[in-house]
Amino acid sequence: MSYAIALRKRFGALQFQEYALALVVIALFVAGAILKPDTFPTWDNVRNMLTQASIVGVLAVGMTFVIATSGIDLSVGSMVAAAGVFAGTMAEPSGGTFIFIVAAIAFAALLGAVNATAITFGRVVPFIATLAMLSIARGLALIFNDKLPVGLLNLNGGSFGDPSPFSLLWFGTGKIIGIPVSVWIFLGIVIAGWVVLNRTRYGRHVVAVGGNREAARIAGVPVRRVIFSVYVLSGLLAGIATVLLCARLGSASPVSGELYELDAIGAVVIGGTSLAGGRATMVGTFLGVLTFALIFSLMTQLDLSTEIQQVTKGAIVLGAVLLQRPEVRY
Amino acid sequence: MSLKRLALAIGFVSLMAVIAVGCGGGTDTVTVTSGGGGEAAEGNGSEPAADESNSSGKTVKIVASVPPTDHGWLGAISKDAKAEAAKYDDVEFKLLEAADSDSQAQQIQQVIAEKPDALVVLPQDGEALTPAAQQAEAAGIPVVNIDRLFSAPDAATATILGDNYQIGSLAAEYITEQLNCKGKIAEIEGLAGISVTQERTEGFEDQLKKSCPGGGIEVVANQPGDFNPEKGLTVMENILTAQPEIDAVYTHDDDMAQGVVQAIRNSGREDEMFVTGVGGSQAAMEQIAEGGLYRATFLYNPNIAASAVTMARLIALGEGFSELVPPQVPRQIVVPAEAVTKENVAEYEQYAYN
Repeated sequence: MSYAIALRKRFGALQFQEYALALVVIALFVAGAILKPDTFPTWDNVRNMLTQASIVGVLAVGMTFVIATSGIDLSVGSMVAAAGVFAGTMAEPSGGTFIFIVAAIAFAALLGAVNATAITFGRVVPFIATLAMLSIARGLALIFNDKLPVGLLNLNGGSFGDPSPFSLLWFGTGKIIGIPVSVWIFLGIVIAGWVVLNRTRYGRHVVAVGGNREAARIAGVPVRRVIFSVYVLSGLLAGIATVLLCARLGSASPVSGELYELDAIGAVVIGGTSLAGGRATMVGTFLGVLTFALIFSLMTQLDLSTEIQQVTKGAIVLGAVLLQRPEVRY
Repeated sequence: MSLKRLALAIGFVSLMAVIAVGCGGGTDTVTVTSGGGGEAAEGNGSEPAADESNSSGKTVKIVASVPPTDHGWLGAISKDAKAEAAKYDDVEFKLLEAADSDSQAQQIQQVIAEKPDALVVLPQDGEALTPAAQQAEAAGIPVVNIDRLFSAPDAATATILGDNYQIGSLAAEYITEQLNCKGKIAEIEGLAGISVTQERTEGFEDQLKKSCPGGGIEVVANQPGDFNPEKGLTVMENILTAQPEIDAVYTHDDDMAQGVVQAIRNSGREDEMFVTGVGGSQAAMEQIAEGGLYRATFLYNPNIAASAVTMARLIALGEGFSELVPPQVPRQIVVPAEAVTKENVAEYEQYAYN
């Protein structure tokens, strides 16, 4: 009985949090519509914001699972760079788009597995294990092609115009029924992430491990396997984000992806997933990603100077979190 | 148990080593000690080793300290410096990279203990590295300063730099001429908060007023792209959405401009506007030669690093430029900027960097 009440209470809190962030998203959009009535509330702009959100968005889905287990993955940005340059050097001379995609995803998943091994078998705390990977992967990205970016235009016959379906650049600039391919992929991954998190036994295990590891173990959850899997998943999604990024830029740069980890973690946490683990919301993550995309788009469109942008961004993030009902009282 | 952990640790390290070595192929070593004089270095317009220097039989040790060379222009800085050093039989050269101002300062302090004959420094931040350079000078090691100025006159024996203010004004001159003083410009700046960015913007704005005293030019957007193609792409996408009309885009860097170009192409508005860059990269020169969207770049040639090595060598040997009267190296050399357009790109392509 008391369990049911506690459950309802927790669920209610979660919903409020999601609603609160939805209000922030709507408020930002309305603000944009008022300040820039001709260009902000347009389909072009919405499409543009979703496209820009897609890369960090894909990373944030993986990060949601990691943080739900009370872990953290600081290495996603560096993995994006390493996987991109690695796949570029594999695919560029004679390979094709398919090789690029497989190489990027496999390599990022491998780096994720290295994180996972260090954390589960080596019992290194996630913060340190992935901090080490942040440095290792960035170094590898610079080593693979002697610090130079890899041009990928040959994967599309050397030009940008009208990419043919399933060529690399199509993933970055192509559209299906007017919606960019990268946005379809982003939305698909968010929905898949929601289903896995909320409707499968694996999802319940992930949250259980983050909530109370000992209790989960006693209840028969394969704790080590679950923790291992979320870091591999985070790596795998970093591989997909790599494909989206390289497809948009037409090149794979060793300095790309810097600070993506902070954007992804920020989106997850303002979405309402608890850094302490045990509570996760995919809808919140999605709204968190949208919040960042809206802020960035609004501020560049208003042509605010950098310093004003930084202060505003910080203030909006803080405000968004304050709006949500505080869970802990000090 | 601890054995298992040891095995795991060894496994990790060797895995990383295999990946790094196996896939890396040619990892470049940062130490270049010039060997036989016959080694062909990339020609960069400076004269080869003069034979008379060998007669003295003296070898000079030069150490260069630069920021991380993971950006096209900075990469070229280190390449050019190494190539130049390799031309001289009497130069023992070492190039060090530092991740940030703090570690660069520490690095320089360590180098002072090695007592090289000269130090070449491209500081991450001129202000922050002034004390370290002063220490080197005080220890009797002459310092040659590249690109970003130290804030005290006793921090360097000689300085070589490009003219960032002039780059801005040349860009403004070119753009206003192309637009006949009528149109809308977007500016994509470099990294906010460093002198290079500031001077490129100031030169541009001042010249806009001079070139078009009657007005007519409007800068509709001014956003930082951090010298980064990725940031250039997203910032330009937002500007394109916000601005229904743009006639020209002044960017502060050729690498970053590649992202800007991508954004414009993706939006299908390449016939509406043109883009200019700064630096003189291979990609920029090729696109300028082709014609179209990328119309011009303003040279800020990384071969100033090669000149800096030459200056350091002469200072260490106690000589001056043979073409000049004074027997010392001049205190400051400012390399003028130049506009590279379709008309003259052929003569400048030899200086392009990757």
